[in-house]
Amino acid sequence: MQYTSPIREPLVLQGKTYADVTEDICRQVEAAPNPRWLGAMFLSLLALGWGSYTLYRTWWYGIGEWGLNKTVGWAWDITNFVWWVGIGHAGTLISAILLLFRQKWRTSINRAAEAMTIFAVLCAGSFILMHMGRPWLAHWALPLPNTYGSLWVNFNSPLVWDVFAISTYLTVSIVFWYMGLIPDLATIRERAKNPIARFIYGAMSFAWNGSAKTWARYEMVALVLAGLSTPLVLSVHTIVSFDFATSVIPGWHTTIFPPYFVAGAIFSGFAMVLTLMLITRHVYKLQAYITLEHIESMNKIILLTGSIVGIAYLTEFFIAWYSGVEYESYCFINRAFGPYWWAYWSMMTCNVISPQFFWFRSMRRNIYVTFALSIVVNIGMWFERFVIIVTSLHRDYVPSSWTMFWPTYVDVGDYIFSFGFFFTCFFLFAKFLPVINIAEVKAILKSSSAPSVIEKEEKVKAGVKLTPSYNPKSE
Amino acid sequence: MASATHYSVEHENLNFVFKSELRKRLIMAMAIGVILILLGCILLMMGIGVADAHHGAGHGTGHHGGGGAEGSGHGFHWTKRLWANLWLNGVFFTGIAVIGVFFVAVQYVAHAGWSSAIKRIPEAFGYFLPITGGLLLILFFIAGHDLFHWTHSSLYEKGGKEFDKILYGKSGFFFFPLKPGSFPFFYVLRMIIFFGGWYFLFMQIRKLSLKEDLETDFNTYLKRPVIYNKLVYISTVFVVFFAISSSVSAWDWIMSIDSHWFSTMFGWYVFSSWHVTGLATIALAVILLKEQGYLKVVNENHLHDLGKFMFAFSIFWTYIWFSQFLLIYYANIPEEAIYFKERLSGHGGLYAPVFFLNIFFNFFFPFLILMTRASKRNVSILKIAIGFILVGHYLDFFMMVMPGTVGANGGFGLIEAGCLLLFASAFIYVVASNLAKAPLIAKNHPFIKESEYHVVL
Amino acid sequence: MTKHEETHKFLVGIFNDEDILIGAIKKLQAAGVKLHDAYTPYPVHHLDEYLGFKRSRLSKAAFLFGATGAILAATFQSYVMGIDWPMIIGGKDFIAPPSFVPVTFEFAVLCASLGMVATFLVSNGLLPWKKAVMFDPRSTDDKFVLAINLADNKKIEEAKIVELLKANGAEEVNTKEIKKK
Repeated sequence: MQYTSPIREPLVLQGKTYADVTEDICRQVEAAPNPRWLGAMFLSLLALGWGSYTLYRTWWYGIGEWGLNKTVGWAWDITNFVWWVGIGHAGTLISAILLLFRQKWRTSINRAAEAMTIFAVLCAGSFILMHMGRPWLAHWALPLPNTYGSLWVNFNSPLVWDVFAISTYLTVSIVFWYMGLIPDLATIRERAKNPIARFIYGAMSFAWNGSAKTWARYEMVALVLAGLSTPLVLSVHTIVSFDFATSVIPGWHTTIFPPYFVAGAIFSGFAMVLTLMLITRHVYKLQAYITLEHIESMNKIILLTGSIVGIAYLTEFFIAWYSGVEYESYCFINRAFGPYWWAYWSMMTCNVISPQFFWFRSMRRNIYVTFALSIVVNIGMWFERFVIIVTSLHRDYVPSSWTMFWPTYVDVGDYIFSFGFFFTCFFLFAKFLPVINIAEVKAILKSSSAPSVIEKEEKVKAGVKLTPSYNPKSE
Repeated sequence: MASATHYSVEHENLNFVFKSELRKRLIMAMAIGVILILLGCILLMMGIGVADAHHGAGHGTGHHGGGGAEGSGHGFHWTKRLWANLWLNGVFFTGIAVIGVFFVAVQYVAHAGWSSAIKRIPEAFGYFLPITGGLLLILFFIAGHDLFHWTHSSLYEKGGKEFDKILYGKSGFFFFPLKPGSFPFFYVLRMIIFFGGWYFLFMQIRKLSLKEDLETDFNTYLKRPVIYNKLVYISTVFVVFFAISSSVSAWDWIMSIDSHWFSTMFGWYVFSSWHVTGLATIALAVILLKEQGYLKVVNENHLHDLGKFMFAFSIFWTYIWFSQFLLIYYANIPEEAIYFKERLSGHGGLYAPVFFLNIFFNFFFPFLILMTRASKRNVSILKIAIGFILVGHYLDFFMMVMPGTVGANGGFGLIEAGCLLLFASAFIYVVASNLAKAPLIAKNHPFIKESEYHVVL
Repeated sequence: MTKHEETHKFLVGIFNDEDILIGAIKKLQAAGVKLHDAYTPYPVHHLDEYLGFKRSRLSKAAFLFGATGAILAATFQSYVMGIDWPMIIGGKDFIAPPSFVPVTFEFAVLCASLGMVATFLVSNGLLPWKKAVMFDPRSTDDKFVLAINLADNKKIEEAKIVELLKANGAEEVNTKEIKKK
């Protein structure tokens, strides 16, 4: 018997039944695209189109089109890469870590968050291809047998670790996401009236029939995948941080980088999930499934990870002074008061100060504040990566080579490309696949739903013994 | 699911009795601990087990640039090993005690239900804080110079022979607002604030928790769980305070032993070590109480969760350990790498075995032992894993404290065994006597029923 | 597939709620009825245990896949960096174990995940070109379906089973012919 304390807030409102859940979520998949969706898709494609032009320039003329110079060899490309990878942490975190922690509120948001993760990791990968300059040689990053005899990749290089980490993460995330989709695709298949849709969703649903034996194994697979994905998701940003921290560049070589990057990644990922979910919730009218309780829980995680990131900033600053290493100390002073002071203070304001609003319950449950802060947080996290990368590089050990980095329109255009790509993918997902995990929401319905009085009476008539899990407050 | 018997909270035997037999045994153990320490001291006084008694200086690898064998300016005196051991155990057991409080606080902040039936056990750990706090404070005054290289005033005399520019640069962290090399006011103040803050917040949590027991009608209380809400509030305050204080205390009490060495990860490293040790201690206490016939509500599902926690945070510790090690190993900057060099090959390789045991005990064994579902639900296997974790993390702290204090004169002898025995039995004594003072189950915890019906898939 | 396709006849009980389904399963089992399987819109915890299915060994498979991946990755890196083309990098040993940890870990996770999922899909016949065996399409929506193979229950009359199903909360009882595997 499952017991849920009556003081817990319900996670599904308006007394939804199982059939309602199916209907509410499948409706979006089955209906014709609405004008708002078409408009949004048009804007995304526009961004993608413009970005494709600058991407063409990047690849045709080379990365000289960017604002890089001989001192600053990594700037917007790697900033954007790390930013997108970071955003791509929330999905698997929500599905895996929250599954292990038995947080039921994950069920309404995990699907979209995982999809978001996959698209964000693809965007991140696109910057790796871009900054190679010669993407047709991308396979050189893999340990493949080659015509130069046995010249392999260097397994001591964090960049090679990155290749493994990002590709593993992308693969496992796609598998995890798709496994979750299979039962829902079967639901859509059984509802489909159009034979083409029935065929496509039929093939995509892998002959799923929801038998108890399959479900039991499926749950085992989900649990083990969660167990594997949890260290995986931590390892990805850890290895991204190794790209910097294994070097001997002041401001990069610091041991706190791995967990601090991971916290930052979760922070920005949750913010992006909130941005997208608040829009989806509004457009698809999912208020019964994505409740204020969900939003509040996510805001708490933003507050937690934002504060961890804040502590890490202070730790770095403190140890730079404590260590007595003058290069390290200078680097941090230069960050805060050097020519890129505005980037540093934008980062501090957006990442450390703005989430502190979420100490107040009223703020955590305010949709407008949440939406605004979710965007502010991602601006801050972009600046964080910019600060780490550019301010550490632009003043190196040789003062005569000190310089500044300014982006060109191609830098900006390539960034816009990733936005176009991301939103195009996300809107396609939101149209053709169920944005909420139907099966998982049904699974928590009994313990975490606030039923209507009518439904309750019907249940009593039908002889169902009402468990105390219903929340009396909601009636 | 079909568990053999379901125990309900209402039928629980609520009161733990601290039997005089156990009391006697613990006092005996403490006495044996003291005797072992005394014997060890006598042996050391006679020069047995001292590596370089005749040289008068505890030089390790001979490298003095970084953290190696600092504080050796005064030569090795046998008391140093005693102080180092007391300090080591003081910090180690402070960790276990404060993690008990932290665990309870985290459960409140996270609105966790499953753990409400066992929360009284970690709650009792907090009572050990004033003891270790007082001890560390006194010890700092007695043995500060033996343990902490940076306390020597000659290092801060400008133009002096021993003037140390690096230490002078960060002297404010220790001596503020006083003159560098005088009384470490800021350092001592922090120690008082940390222990004071932890204990104060712990007392608030404890008081409210006991007050909740007095509620007469559970259902009425659930409609307006005022005390519970206050507990969530205080717990949040504790978690925030602990987030900062745990890192800074790690810098103060351990990192500053190796006065020149630094690592931004260090605070979180110590936290991760403390945390998993605390979790193992909680699990051990729960198992022992269950074996005595208490905590009937607690079944293999709760143990499973505790096992999961130990498993997960053993991996977390490994993650932090590896990240710190790899970055220092890879970059190979002398002032950082000295720390691991000293432990791997310094002092005639004295600490190298411990270095590897540390990884085996704290990663491989818990990882392999606790991986399967069945092992997390089996009391005997859990105990084996707990044993490895507790011993392993003692060794972890041993690795942090000993090379920088006693250096080549370290080792595991009578003093070490005695100190460990003394602290462990004192800890059990304090926890047991406080467990007996309140019901073992917080019967009015709003989530107590969730804990009672808790099932892990 | 045999040339002479035969079918099995199933009784299909439709339920409204997971608890009623579990209650019915217990009652039917007590009456000696052998159950085929149950079909639910979401995973009902412990339903497999009530139906007498063994606990899945997929986690063990995952461990074996992961261990294989870890050994392969560690061996390959040591071979490449230490034997096939040794190079001094950063003053480290040719075989520098700490540097090999990240790739070893990633590859182990990759093998464990893909291996386990592939095993799961294949062993449960979940493949894109297969056609789903549905006893009632509503089991993917809001109904809980219990299937009973009459061939497994030759000793008990069909009508008796129908009666048992209805008496224990089935709101409908249908029959369905399914091709033999």
